[in-house]
Amino acid sequence: MKLTTKLLALSVAAAGAYSGAAVANDALARLINDPNNWAMQAGNFANTRFSQLNQINKSNVNKLQVSWMFSTGVLRGHEGSPLVIGNNMYLVTPFPNNVFAIDLTTQKIKWKYAPKQDPAVIPQMCCDTVNRGVAYAPGKVFMQQADSTLVALDAETGKVIWSVRNGDPKVGAVNTNAPHVFKDKVITGISGGEWGVRGYISAYDINTGKLVWRGYSTGPDNEILIDPQKTTTWRDGSVQPVGANSSLNTWKGDQWKIGGGTTWGWYSYDPDLNLMYYGSGNPSTWNPSQRPGDNKWSMSIWARDVDTGNVAWVFQMTPFDEWDFDGINEMILADLNVRGKYHRSLVHFDRNGFGYTVDRATGELLVAEKFDPAVNWATHVDMKTGRPQVVAKYSTAQNGPDVNTKGVCPAALGSKDQQPAAFHPGTKLFYVPTNHVCMDYEPFSVEYVAGQPYVGATLSMYPPPGEKNMGNFIAWDATVGKIVWSKPEKFSVWSGALATAGDVVFYGTLEGYLKAVDANTGKELWKFRTPSGIIGNVFTYTHGGKQYVGVFSGIGGWAGIGMAAGLDKDTDGLGAVGGYRELRDYTDLGGQLTVFALP
Amino acid sequence: MRSWYWLVVPLLAAGTTALAEDRVQTDLYTVVDGTKVDEKTLQGFKTWRAAACDRCHGANQEGMVGPSLIASLKVLTKAEFEKTVTEGRLEKGMPSFSTSQTVMSNLDNLYAYLKGRSDGAITRAKVQGMQ
Repeated sequence: MKLTTKLLALSVAAAGAYSGAAVANDALARLINDPNNWAMQAGNFANTRFSQLNQINKSNVNKLQVSWMFSTGVLRGHEGSPLVIGNNMYLVTPFPNNVFAIDLTTQKIKWKYAPKQDPAVIPQMCCDTVNRGVAYAPGKVFMQQADSTLVALDAETGKVIWSVRNGDPKVGAVNTNAPHVFKDKVITGISGGEWGVRGYISAYDINTGKLVWRGYSTGPDNEILIDPQKTTTWRDGSVQPVGANSSLNTWKGDQWKIGGGTTWGWYSYDPDLNLMYYGSGNPSTWNPSQRPGDNKWSMSIWARDVDTGNVAWVFQMTPFDEWDFDGINEMILADLNVRGKYHRSLVHFDRNGFGYTVDRATGELLVAEKFDPAVNWATHVDMKTGRPQVVAKYSTAQNGPDVNTKGVCPAALGSKDQQPAAFHPGTKLFYVPTNHVCMDYEPFSVEYVAGQPYVGATLSMYPPPGEKNMGNFIAWDATVGKIVWSKPEKFSVWSGALATAGDVVFYGTLEGYLKAVDANTGKELWKFRTPSGIIGNVFTYTHGGKQYVGVFSGIGGWAGIGMAAGLDKDTDGLGAVGGYRELRDYTDLGGQLTVFALP
Repeated sequence: MRSWYWLVVPLLAAGTTALAEDRVQTDLYTVVDGTKVDEKTLQGFKTWRAAACDRCHGANQEGMVGPSLIASLKVLTKAEFEKTVTEGRLEKGMPSFSTSQTVMSNLDNLYAYLKGRSDGAITRAKVQGMQ
């Protein structure tokens, strides 16, 4: 195996210009494929969040104990997770985005990087000052600061190797996403859909920080990196060229320039197809009446060539969004047999409440079904057009500005937000942390001012009528689009899941429990109360031959703030607001890593 | 601060249900039945909405990641309120609205609306004009 890899590296190196990328990719792939590491935020390029480790398994997980803990020194929402490569752990805190390298043998802080950032970016960060983690390439740690600066740090010393400005925070272009390393590029997105930022995704050279390509979500074809003939989409029941001006034709005037479609999720990569996959977010503003048209390519699944950024195919899930069903959630790459035919598939659980299975090579739409039975804004997705069939009474555009559209399920935070799902290749099931929340949505006219919020809707969120649980942890069969089992949770499950070869699936809860369940049945096998609510992602690694499982606690993010009382609620009801207030009975702010092991 | 309240009992036609109009008037605002307000206070509500203050302070001003304005407006002076909105409290996540023409030209109206909410005279976050 080792010899083959070496030979491959040598032969590709001899091939010339392409060599750097291939070698870099090969070295990183080796680190990622070693299950003793947790070398990417999702564990691997395919975003499966699956680990081959099985020391901790369903027969012994009930003996799991705390092994060690680490305070990050910051009390805000802790999303993402640390990385582990060999003897080193790397983690980044929420704003101010301090990076720590920890020696796992001595448990000493090897180095700390503390960037200086203008605090003016704090108010611009929608839904708390989270940071979803660092990325690693051999010898380098990449961190995407809130103020949009992308830095490459020396993995041994923490010294800055290069630094580049990825956006203009003065107009609300800030960052919360983790960067991702594919081949010799570090890829990062942008946030600011609520500030009218025009979304894009950028690839930088890992060695120099030079911008290699940037593809926008909206606007002229050449800026999106669309070839009208070669780039395809799903239309009329088949894969077809998108045609010229596919974005511009779907906007009124210049609205696309402030039209959102930001890119702050988790990206995946298929080395064989040389394509990367990600989702684009909501169109700006949240008042749909101000932006008639399909608003392409907001709310879309994207497949781009990693080397050029050229769009291979693109599929819009929610044309003309009227609910903030931001489409940035992760794309999980899994090969599946759908209706008797093998597909190199991509599975995506969208904020709009539909679980999509798509052929990732062609963009063919295979499955689109509701993954929460509460979803009511659309009856179904028309498989020929790919369009959700909107229910008129839940259409905030048809009801119009200054009208409160009530009882829309899911709420704007979606049946699932960014909290990533996991895929177990053994059970062939997807394990999905979900929100079970509905909303009232009242759009209103809003003016764009650069650097000021550009929202244009007032929302209130609550559990579905007659229900008390605001979350479910589900197992999903993506070949048919059906829930296999569903485990209710009191609050939204806002923690990224981890599936392991020990047939255990882990996830955290907003109250602060880390839970382990049986991958086949969903039966709860173990839980432990960490110091604060969990919105981080569970990860695993080995050190000294022993398996560890870890997770951040630290409540925050939209999960924490989304549960307010309604706009129509009288002050008489102030004492009776549910959701978030009730969460305060369980947890307060935190900022801690807890690592578990068997005794 | 001077404030006075009075109850207006409209003349009733025989056979109709008695309806009392609850009217609160201060130097800052006039509120009828808790939810109908004078034009300036209505503009204050529209400013609150346009600036997306609810994302941090909650749809009912009771606080979420940002503090409760029902409570804060009992403590802040008008000058402190204006300074906070104009300059922000960046470290705490409160933006500066100095570049927002809408907010800057409606500071008095915004204050009137929020003060009305804090005083309890405006009983629901969403208000409408008196007509």
